[in-house]
Parts: sequence; C-alpha cells; structure tokens
Amino acid sequence: MLSVILQQGINGIVVGSLYVLVALGLTLIYGVLVQINFAHADIVTLGAFAAYFAAHLLSGNYFIGIAVALIVGGVLGWLINAAIFAPLRQHSSELLPLIATIGVSIMLQNGMLLLFGPIPYAFNTPYSSKVIHIGSLFFTLQNLLIIVVSTATIVLLYAFMKFTFLGKALRAVSQDRETAALMGINPNFLIMLTFIIASALAGMSGALLGPVLVLTPFAGTSVIVKAFAIVIIGGFGNVEGTIIAGLIVGLIEAYTTQFLDPGLIDIVVFALLLLMLAVRPTGLIAEKRAENV
Amino acid sequence: MSEPSRIASSRPAFAQRFFTSRRLCFLVAAITIALLPLIFTSSYWRTNLIVCAINVLLAVGLDFVLGYAGQLNIGQSAFYGIGAYASTLLIMKLAVPFWVAFALGVLISGIAGALLSLFAVRLRGHYLAIASLGFAVITYQILLNWISLTQGPLGIYAIAPPPPISLPWLPSIMFTSLINLFYLIAGFALLVYFILDQLVRSPIGETLTAIREDELSAASLGIDAPKWKAFAFAVSSAVAGAAGCFYASFVGTLVPDAFFITESFSMLAMVIVGGMGTLIGPVLGAILLTVLPELLRGIGDLRLIVYGAAVALVVLFMPGGLVQVFRIVTRRWFSPGPKVEVLQ
Repeated sequence: MLSVILQQGINGIVVGSLYVLVALGLTLIYGVLVQINFAHADIVTLGAFAAYFAAHLLSGNYFIGIAVALIVGGVLGWLINAAIFAPLRQHSSELLPLIATIGVSIMLQNGMLLLFGPIPYAFNTPYSSKVIHIGSLFFTLQNLLIIVVSTATIVLLYAFMKFTFLGKALRAVSQDRETAALMGINPNFLIMLTFIIASALAGMSGALLGPVLVLTPFAGTSVIVKAFAIVIIGGFGNVEGTIIAGLIVGLIEAYTTQFLDPGLIDIVVFALLLLMLAVRPTGLIAEKRAENV
Repeated sequence: MSEPSRIASSRPAFAQRFFTSRRLCFLVAAITIALLPLIFTSSYWRTNLIVCAINVLLAVGLDFVLGYAGQLNIGQSAFYGIGAYASTLLIMKLAVPFWVAFALGVLISGIAGALLSLFAVRLRGHYLAIASLGFAVITYQILLNWISLTQGPLGIYAIAPPPPISLPWLPSIMFTSLINLFYLIAGFALLVYFILDQLVRSPIGETLTAIREDELSAASLGIDAPKWKAFAFAVSSAVAGAAGCFYASFVGTLVPDAFFITESFSMLAMVIVGGMGTLIGPVLGAILLTVLPELLRGIGDLRLIVYGAAVALVVLFMPGGLVQVFRIVTRRWFSPGPKVEVLQ
C-alpha cells in the first residue's frame, strides 16, 4: 500500500513538474501583461511535434529534439506577441486578446491536423524503455529526465528573475509598467522577452510531455485547461504559488487515477479550483494584485 | 465601449427613422424567417438554417451576460449541455411531456447560471473567465462520466422531435419536417430577441450596463450588483438551455462532445465577430460563422484554419465586429454633415 502511494507520488511529481513549466509561462505573461494567451496550449503541442520530428527524422538524438522544441516555441511566442498582443494593447480590453488567441488556437490545431493527421503518434525516446528499480518502486529514465530538466529550468528561471538585471526589470514591469518605463525600462521589449521565454518553456515542456501524452494535434487542450487551474490555484502572476499548485495538481491526477477513476481527474482538479476561488481567490500565496478579486 | 445614446443622436434623421422603427424591423425579420426555408429548399440548407437559428439563440443569450452585464463568462457550453441533457432525460426517463420538459430544462439551466453567478459576485475579469471555464469542464466531465444517467460517450439515441401541435380547426403541425422545426426554433429565437430587446432598453438594461461600466459607482447609486449579476447569468443560461433542448430534439442524439468547452469558444467568437454589446451583432455573427464553414467546404481541411484566422483578423482589425462596419457604412452613405468619429 505504501509503495503504491509512493509510486503514484513519483508519477504525480513527474506530470506535475511539466504542468508547472506550462503554467509558469501563462503566469509570466499574465504578470507583465494581465492577459491570457489561449494559444499557449498549442505551443506545447507544436513543441511536442517539433521534438518528435527532430528526434525521429533528423538526428535520432532526443536532446536535439528538446532544443528544437525550445526554439520553435520561442519563435511562435514572439510571433503571437507581435501579431496579436502588441496591436491589441491599445484597446486595454480583457476579452479581445482572449478571443483572438482562441482564433489562433483553432488555426494552429487544424493546421497541425492537416499536417500530422489525427492518429496519435508513438513518441518513444531512448529513455522511455530504461526502467530504474529502487526497492519496489520503479520509474523510467524518461521520468528522471523530466524531473531533472524541469527542476533545472525552474531554478534557472527563478535565478534569472531574482538576480539578473533583465529579471529585475521584468518584475518591475509586472509591478508597475508606467513607473518602470519612467525608469528607462522598455516595457515593449520586456513583454516580447516574456513571451519568448514563456513560449520556449511551453515548447520544451511539449518535448518532454510528448512521450508521456497521447500525441495528437489536440493534446495541448487537456494540458492547458489544467494549467489555467494551476495558475489560479497558485495565484495569477505568482511563481512560487504556481510551482506548489502544479505539483499538487500532478499528485491529485496520480492519486485520482489510482484510487478513484481517471475520468474524474478534471472534476477533482476543477472542484479544487472553484473551492479555491470561493474561499481564497488570491491563490495559495497572495500577491498585492487585487483588481480582479 | 460604444455609447448607444451618442450614436443615436449623431445619426441623421432619415437613417434614424428607418433603423429605429423597431416594429418594421421585427416585421421584416418575421417575413425573412418565413421566406428563408422557401428559398433554400434542399434539406442540406434547411438543416443549416436550423443550426443558424440555434446558434443565434446561443449567441444572443451569451451576449446578454457578456456584452450588457460585462461578465466574462467563457463557459456557456455548460448551460447549453445542461438544458439539452436535462430536458432529454426528463422526457426519456420520466416520460415528461415535451413542453413541460422544455420549461424545466430552461429553468434548470437558469438556476445553474444563477449558481455560477455566486462566483461572479467575488470575481471579475480573468478570474471569472477561468471559474466559468472550470464550471464548463466539470459539467462536460460529469456528462461524460455519469454513465448510468447519460450513457457517457456512447450518447443518447433516438430522441423524438417535438410532438405535433394540434390546433382545433387546422391540420396538426408536425415537427418531423425540417421546415416546421425551423419555423419553431427561429420563431422562438425571434421571441427571445424581442424579450431581450425590451429588457436591454428598459431600466434593467441600464442597470446592467452601469454594473458593466463601473461596479463601484453602480453600487453607490444603490444598485444591488450581486442580484443583477445573478439575473443576467440566469437569463443568459436559460436561453442557452432552451437552445440545448431544441438541439437535442433536432439532432436526435446527444453526446457529451457536443458540449465541450470549444463550443463555448465558438459562441464567444459569434458574439465578438458580430459585435458585442448589441443584440443584432450576435445574430449576424452567429449566421456568418455558421454559414462560413459550410461555404468553405470546397477547400476541405483548410476551412477551420480560415475560420480561426477570420476570428483573429476580425478582432484585430474591427474589434467592434460587423456592427461597427455597418455603422461606418451607414454613416458614410446617409450622413451629408461632418464625419463623426467612430467610437471604439
């Protein structure tokens, strides 16, 4: 019994750390722009496909696949910012960018459907078949890789935000864009940078999720819906809260699959979300951003 | 946001008389509804007409809470599904007569909407958007997983069309034919439009707009915002519930996938493309976005890519939607005086 709980704990943390990567992107964008990018999900999917084709067709090296996904994600994020968010900033509407990115999402999903077809891809990496046993527990090398890469990424991002000048400038823009601009920080550049970082993260998490998910053009939707829940549970724009909430959702997913029914995952996650919104709408770690609550 | 009063006063006299004579407009709409299935006689286009009518209901209903009350509800598919499943299950499991089940389905959806508004009391903007999305995800998953009730992904089959209406000195009206079903649903949509039109031009509409523009100021004028938000959510979701009930009896089968969250997004797209915060806008948006993918069938798999691009482009280049374009055009044609600044 204990080993089952521990085993599912490992699975939960593996999935949860990937959700954290996706959700961090959303939360970073929300932090600087107070906007939601609905096409974020499709960057994840496209990252998974990019990694698949780079790894299977071009080189056979999974790490090159991850790097390609990172670049594809970053480029796509830059494009979406330049085409959608930058022109729409003048309207200061919450709804218009949301709808526009829903349109982009429909475009990307159906574009991928056209290119890759509806049949799920079997994304096998050299690491998914290598199993490591520790006592009665087991996990694949892929799982270990996911945890290592995502932890390293999160630590790097955290260090970037905390200690570098750009990171500080970014936080300044998300706290008060006008004052930051008065201090000589170019908000447009930083918003673009945020989009690139966030989308590169999404692309990379797609590359890592690919072997875990059922890889179809619509795979991102189920991930993004949970990422939204994580972002809210953790508190919009809050990095620490997002990490904790992501791991909680991963664990919920693993334990619901084990003890209840896989079909109930979304119900449990979103019941938690609605409970959270009813009880503590500022998220796990409250920030001084109260205008929406 | 556009301000109706300023637009009305800046409109020239001829156009004003023509476009504000609402009786004439409703008469024209009724005649158009009567003529449409006579023009489009193939069952393919008549089916599309019915889908248009259902989508018009959905879009107009969503716009009431979104455009007028300003509540960012992106989970409207939940109420559409609740109405469809509630009415169908009442008919099939409890043998409730159709119109009673219809009324109950509308009522249940309305109550569900009022429940969601409990969140809208504390949340605004994106938080409310995600809460409503979560509500839609939960509803979809319940429809999918409560197999003993909904039969899950297998779906419910052989749902009967609405029963014939028999009038004393006329032959009974059967709803097995597409044309009669279209008249029923489109007539109902026109009725809903009429009611909503009266509502938004009444003090209630002003109250909702006040909440949309500035909730704090509205409260300082003595407006009980939670109550009116609940009202807006209830009306909007009741309309979606009615659409769901018609959908079930029109298609004849119900599967949870018809009420996935993407359905909410296409309703949102209809409202935005048509023109949010007007009633005629969502009608135009619903018709355009229903017919457009059909007209694009020639280009096969590309059609949904074009659809997505169209939605994004409309938001980018005419955020006021089709109504904004229409206003610009009428102003150019009918206004001899100085050009009026286009309100965004």
